[in-house]
Amino acid sequence: MTTQGTQHVLSGLRVLDFTRALAGPTCSRMLAEMGADVIKVESAPKGDLGRNFSMFRNKRSLFHVQHNRGKKSLCVNLRDPRGMALVTELIQHVDIVVENFKPGVMADMGLSYERLKDLKPDIILCSISALGQTGPLAHKPGYDYIAQAYSGVTSMVGEENDAPYIPLVGMGDVSTGVHGALAVLAALRHRDNTGRGQHLDVALLDVYYHYHEVNVHTPRATEGAIQPTRVGRHMTYACPSGVFRGNGGYLVIMAIFHHWPDFCKAIKRPELIDDPQYNTDQARLERRDEVIKLVEDWLQTFPDVESAVAYLEEFNVPVAPVLSVAETLDYPHLRERGTVTTINDPIHGDLDVPGFPLKFSEFPDELPLHAPTLGQHNEEVLTSYLGRSVEEVQQLREAGVVVEENR
Amino acid sequence: MAYGMEHILSDLRVLDFTRALAGPSCTRMLAEMGADVIKVESAPRGDMVRGISVFEKERSLYFIQQNLGKKSLCVNIRDPKAMDIIKELIAQMDVVVENFKPGVIAQMGLGYEELKKIKPNIILCSISALGQKGPLSTKPGYDYIAQAYSGVTSMIGDPDEAPYLPLVGMGDVSTGVHAALAVVSALRYRDRTGEGQHLDIGLLDVYYHYHEVNVHQYSGTKGKMNPTRAGRHLTYVCPAGIFRAKGGSVVIMAFLHHWKDLCAAMEKPELVEHERYGTEALRLEHRDEVVEIIEDWLQATFSDVESAVAHMEQFGVPVAPVLSVAETTQHPHLRERGTVRTIDDPIVGEFDIPGMPLRFSRFPDDLPLKAPTLGQHNEEILSAYLKRSPEEVQQLCEAGVLFEKNS
Repeated sequence: MTTQGTQHVLSGLRVLDFTRALAGPTCSRMLAEMGADVIKVESAPKGDLGRNFSMFRNKRSLFHVQHNRGKKSLCVNLRDPRGMALVTELIQHVDIVVENFKPGVMADMGLSYERLKDLKPDIILCSISALGQTGPLAHKPGYDYIAQAYSGVTSMVGEENDAPYIPLVGMGDVSTGVHGALAVLAALRHRDNTGRGQHLDVALLDVYYHYHEVNVHTPRATEGAIQPTRVGRHMTYACPSGVFRGNGGYLVIMAIFHHWPDFCKAIKRPELIDDPQYNTDQARLERRDEVIKLVEDWLQTFPDVESAVAYLEEFNVPVAPVLSVAETLDYPHLRERGTVTTINDPIHGDLDVPGFPLKFSEFPDELPLHAPTLGQHNEEVLTSYLGRSVEEVQQLREAGVVVEENR
Repeated sequence: MAYGMEHILSDLRVLDFTRALAGPSCTRMLAEMGADVIKVESAPRGDMVRGISVFEKERSLYFIQQNLGKKSLCVNIRDPKAMDIIKELIAQMDVVVENFKPGVIAQMGLGYEELKKIKPNIILCSISALGQKGPLSTKPGYDYIAQAYSGVTSMIGDPDEAPYLPLVGMGDVSTGVHAALAVVSALRYRDRTGEGQHLDIGLLDVYYHYHEVNVHQYSGTKGKMNPTRAGRHLTYVCPAGIFRAKGGSVVIMAFLHHWKDLCAAMEKPELVEHERYGTEALRLEHRDEVVEIIEDWLQATFSDVESAVAHMEQFGVPVAPVLSVAETTQHPHLRERGTVRTIDDPIVGEFDIPGMPLRFSRFPDDLPLKAPTLGQHNEEILSAYLKRSPEEVQQLCEAGVLFEKNS
């Protein structure tokens, strides 16, 4: 049973969470969204550095709220031996430990995998990092875009003859958290079956690299004849497919393969269906600029993006408007699915955030999770897990070993 | 047990109806963790991507990469005898995965309710572009269609120009991983309660999940902050982004406490507390100037990207070269970690693909997985699972119920 009283897929699972920023907290939040009991260990007095971003009101970070829903906060002074003793004692009561310090820091803190195993023989330790626990780059300071640059993904965004662009979304960090959660669940099932724990090593670099569906196998297999690089707004192996300019905005159109005849009918140019200059993706790729111009000139006959999308949909052409983030918030489909969801924060009130992306038929409702204030669960964790009395917790509070603040 | 080696999911049986990229990424992740995956392919062509990245011998590299470790059962789905075989197999499976357009699996007579009649605790994982429900769910969907609807596309490029598409399968692949996480979670729940369920995973939800700040920024400021693409640099810290150097680009993340490190690297100590650049807010306000100072220094000081990166690393500045895909395949770190790996295909020989992104200490070695030729395991599956004799299999081949091709 979770703290918040509702059953879900992982109810009963106990996680000790040392993560900060985004990739690690996403992993433990996914576990919390599935009902796990997650204790977030925050270092006194400041707590997770994510508490310093997106503070629009009341020193309460929306970034923290979004990425730490459903966790309990235990804020302790980790430089105080009494604080470390509490953490060490807690490890004996949990199934999983998740951390995303720089490689080596956990061991420096006296919490290496070997030490954790001494404390709890079947413990599962999930280590999340930018560039991995091993290899020549492992010790470097890492952020999402550093790993992205090393993965070759950055080199695939923008115009060929100019510097690339970075996507302003946390696509590496968030997905790495999900990869981490998958590794944790697989290891947990293995532990259930065999009684053995293990150490997991999940890195942003590997996750970004995992995204290359064709780029890695293409150069080697063509002996270098094809070298994938960024080429603007359109795909390189099918045509027409990419971002097209409409009136007042942009559309994604994928009129490739068997969709080309549908598209020709839509633009009332049926003669192009079998025209040898255009009748295959290869032929259209050879005339890509011409095909793009044909599509964009035709799009100018519509007053806006919506009418062009609606018209193309009548002909079953795969098409979408390029929505702004603002437009996504009230888009009926995204609301109905819970792709975007409104949460109610005890301090901020109603707030939109991305919804939980996994849908389980046995658990159709999302758990009503809240993000903790700093040290909110100090007393609860120390009394229920470690059997401390309220007086003992008060003494730890007065000694500055545990810290609480309403933000 | 696949390939005679145990791995973390070695007891698991999966019937796989997926095609293209998102679905096959899910079942490949399960296969990489040791699951026995039977890929059902529709005769005579099989998975549509057997036609993509075909450089020699009619063998698709695209297919190989996304279908490592699966067994191919190629049947004529329109023949009732084939459907009987499939239903007989379902009775022996733990998990069914599909990524048809929503509704298609039910039209085939294999909707969740039907599957439950065949195997009461079955887990059905349905993967789609826009989800199983909601106003957009019936539309034809591809990765970039979901990306456009998610608002992610709107975050890539210059604010006054059309956005760019990242030429990597970051939505499809990550959706496969999200789905694999849902499957393993549901499996653990089944192990504990005996109950199966239906999972609904959409690319749209996965892309939306990537918004680490954009959604709450708009919502939390009641629209005052309206996130959009902003070129090559982050919008909430500075300097952080892509910088032009001689011979290429570098990612530099010299915000917060790293600013003084970069000033030291540039031998410009006067900028640390400078009246225009001394704080994050000031640097954001004068972002163009900050970018110009850094790029001028890079161009004047270094003859190439490598020397610039090496110099900044000495000062502890988080920095990375923007590697091309070709460069990644030779990089010592990516090789040592197995971020990039060389596989040996029985038909086309050796080539590179991304590595398995999860690392388990109990299973340090990747399984030596191969991708199947079309219908390669027809006989094995029908004899091992369904106890058909070689003669019966031969009759099904002659009747066109089963199909095989060596590519």
